[in-house]
Amino acid sequence: MPSLRLDGRRLEVSDGDTIAAAAFRAGVRTFTRSLKAHRRRGLYCGTGDCANCLVTVDGLPGERACVTPATDGMRVERETGWPSADRDALAINDRLHRFMPVGFYYKVFARPRWLWPIAERVIRRATGTGTLPVNAPARRTPTRFVRVRTLVIGGGVAGLAAAATASTDGSVLVADEAALGARTTDAAAREAITRLGAEARAAGADILAGHAAIGVYEGPSAALVGPDELVEVEAERVIVATGSLEAHGVFPGNDLPGVWLGRGAARMAAIHGVPIGKHAVVVANTDEGAQLADAVRTAGTDVTLVAGRVLEARGGHQVTSVTVLTPEGRRAFACDALVLSLGWAPRDTLLRMTVEPEVVGAGDVVRPGCTLDEAESSGRAAARGNADEPREADPWPITEHDGYVCVCEDVSMHDLEHAWDEGWTSSEILKRYTTATMGPCQGALCSRHLAEHARAKGAAPAARGRTTARPPVRGPRLGDLTGGVHEQAERRTALHDRHVSAGARMDHSGVWLRPGTYGDVADEIRAVRERVSVMDVSTLAKFLLAGRDAQTLLDRVFPLDVGAIAPGRARYLLALDEAGYVMDDGLLAALHSSYFLTSTSGGADRMEAWLRNWIDRLDLHVHLVNQTSQLGAINVAGPHARDLLATLSVDDLSRDALPYPGYAEITVAGVPCRAIAVGFVGELSFELHHPRGRSVELWDALLNAGSTWDIRPHGLDALDVLRLEKGHVYLAQDTMPDDHPAKLGLGWAVATHKAEFVGKRALERMDALPLERRLVGLRFDGPPQRGHPLAVDGAIVGRITSCAVSVAAGGPVGLGWLRAVDGEFPNVLRAGDVTATVSATPFYDPEGVRLRG
Amino acid sequence: MSMVVTCPTCGRRPFTEFSFGGELRDVASPDTASDFARVYLHDNADGPQEERWFHLLGCRRWVTLTRDTGTNRVEA
Repeated sequence: MPSLRLDGRRLEVSDGDTIAAAAFRAGVRTFTRSLKAHRRRGLYCGTGDCANCLVTVDGLPGERACVTPATDGMRVERETGWPSADRDALAINDRLHRFMPVGFYYKVFARPRWLWPIAERVIRRATGTGTLPVNAPARRTPTRFVRVRTLVIGGGVAGLAAAATASTDGSVLVADEAALGARTTDAAAREAITRLGAEARAAGADILAGHAAIGVYEGPSAALVGPDELVEVEAERVIVATGSLEAHGVFPGNDLPGVWLGRGAARMAAIHGVPIGKHAVVVANTDEGAQLADAVRTAGTDVTLVAGRVLEARGGHQVTSVTVLTPEGRRAFACDALVLSLGWAPRDTLLRMTVEPEVVGAGDVVRPGCTLDEAESSGRAAARGNADEPREADPWPITEHDGYVCVCEDVSMHDLEHAWDEGWTSSEILKRYTTATMGPCQGALCSRHLAEHARAKGAAPAARGRTTARPPVRGPRLGDLTGGVHEQAERRTALHDRHVSAGARMDHSGVWLRPGTYGDVADEIRAVRERVSVMDVSTLAKFLLAGRDAQTLLDRVFPLDVGAIAPGRARYLLALDEAGYVMDDGLLAALHSSYFLTSTSGGADRMEAWLRNWIDRLDLHVHLVNQTSQLGAINVAGPHARDLLATLSVDDLSRDALPYPGYAEITVAGVPCRAIAVGFVGELSFELHHPRGRSVELWDALLNAGSTWDIRPHGLDALDVLRLEKGHVYLAQDTMPDDHPAKLGLGWAVATHKAEFVGKRALERMDALPLERRLVGLRFDGPPQRGHPLAVDGAIVGRITSCAVSVAAGGPVGLGWLRAVDGEFPNVLRAGDVTATVSATPFYDPEGVRLRG
Repeated sequence: MSMVVTCPTCGRRPFTEFSFGGELRDVASPDTASDFARVYLHDNADGPQEERWFHLLGCRRWVTLTRDTGTNRVEA
């Protein structure tokens, strides 16, 4: 016989049992202790709607015992009560509870202030449900994306009828929490579900069992939580057919174990064959009374069926008697189970979650208490676009003078009255003050009661509505929600393995992994300055622009004079945004009938979006090819760069054929390269853009041939120093979001004579304003620290953005921000113990002789 | 999850595939004085607004659409 363990006790499991069925059969009546008063709570809804039976299953807290199938060897623990749910020392709170109205804790423990943190710890331990398994391995649920024409939530009669009809008009997905019909006790309903399920399947509908919808969103779209996946559904329309729950009855003793909502009791008796007691009283004001009574009887329970208002239930460990105001008068019954079918509470949370007109309801959720035939026609009508308007059940079950409104949070009628008297006079505010509807069931039971209470108290129309419906409707696991979020794209260049095997420290640079250093930064710098070196610059954003309007586009968009670039030449390029601020920088090479543009590594997507936006908005004829991933790039830099290339190429590499700054198509070691003479590191250097698939071949050839000059590759650390020695700015590190070119000393890169370019008007406007801040070169008399404030007479006027101790520049140098003081920029500053003097840049080879080779 | 944008090339796609390009504005200003308003003084409408979206994780095409900023409903 299969079995599970509940708090260590072995319980037999029958075929088809839920955890609740196995436990109830074995005599368990108290499943949880309530949040504040530690009252006993037993099975109540029996349909997964309330939070009375939350248990920990195999270490995972918050599982609903009433809908979780029991399996052999399962370990189940009750989560509340100390030392156990059956014997709870804190049950004393129930006696004290009436002296502790809503807000009690906050008011009483608020003074002195040191008391609250201590009180909070004690209160926290006494309340709450399960314990998070902090040592459990992180569970990650995969996320699946589905697009359909129609999503139907709920595989009951209305849902399946909707699915069958909707399948004639595109794809349909039906999601149901359980297997179709598995939770229905009514034979006619089960038969209809079988018939309609077959019809829907035959019509092509996809049926997803065991998937609960936790939310409906704009789009419309929905999230479904399955046993081992999260499904995000994009649908053109959503039909919510989640049915109705019996209304939660509020009367003294309404939360005693042994008080059931009708369909849950029927399921326990008719599906699991477990008697809910010896003698049950069924109080039914709906049409389902006789049917429920029959279902409860099947397991051998003696049943009394009455209609009327429940005035009071009494009992200790569980219900022992009930008083009902029947049409014939007040009657008291002894019983050990009380089954309620007082009215209908449509499960309409998903429907109320969105204003999308494509989200409609069908069946019980919009026509509470409808017959099977009505449910079927409601479903078919919804599929045809004639959905029923939601209709409230009538008459709404009366609340008595006391009893628990919100079972999850232990909020009674008394608490609502008390809060109202304190001045919290709207349903939303009542909710926030009392926490009613804020428990694990998310107001499934009590959200109507709260609104009804506000209405009965005479709240203004705007203050008596239902409180906002929000996801999740069913409690997902944290792992379900984190799904694919941990995934982070990581891009590697074609030379990644070469860097790793050369012992490089690989750094994250945006999405890219790039070599920081191969071990000896000083040696890498010397290789560039004195011999020859290579760097993998494949991460650069690279674009090819062709078409009859290519030059027009570039001229209109960038501040440089594109027409002045002769074919075969290249220019430094600034990209300004419409506010005139520097957005990106790079290089523009004029090919013979097109243009090649490179910009910073992190900005490829943004640059492409930006260029395409202008092509589109200006209606230009330009072909833009983003070659970032297609091309690898290696920068060959150093006084012997030309010598090295000459050993591997038969092309003309002379200063005339490939001047600085210029470009040529050459072949190096058999690899076709677009060579651009650049100057970022301040030595003769050539960026070789080549097909990415041949990067390794080219890299190896360069390193082999370079051994004549004791070649070394260099990484980002060396590059940072090399460019600083030239006074070149690193965008984002040295710049701020509101830097126009003049602040950076880059005014020379703007062709102000052009009639129009993006940012021109803004620059004109800012030109009329005094320069309040600028980036300057700095020399230091001691080792500087990046980020250190710069001060004059103790007042901070700037900050160091880059610095290094440079051999080539003859000492510590840097870049930093300065603010104007009384319209003047100071020249000498203090950075802690170090004195900084403003200095002209470049610090190295200011005439730029070396980079022309 | 949530909004759906209709791309002329790719059809209905979740908005997470797109990057937001802001309100639709003029591409240029007639003079320097009015440029400030064009760049900085957006309408920030509560209701239908014409705006630009870029299908970054798709065909990389720009789309101009009208979105109700209150309901996130997109009109084609």
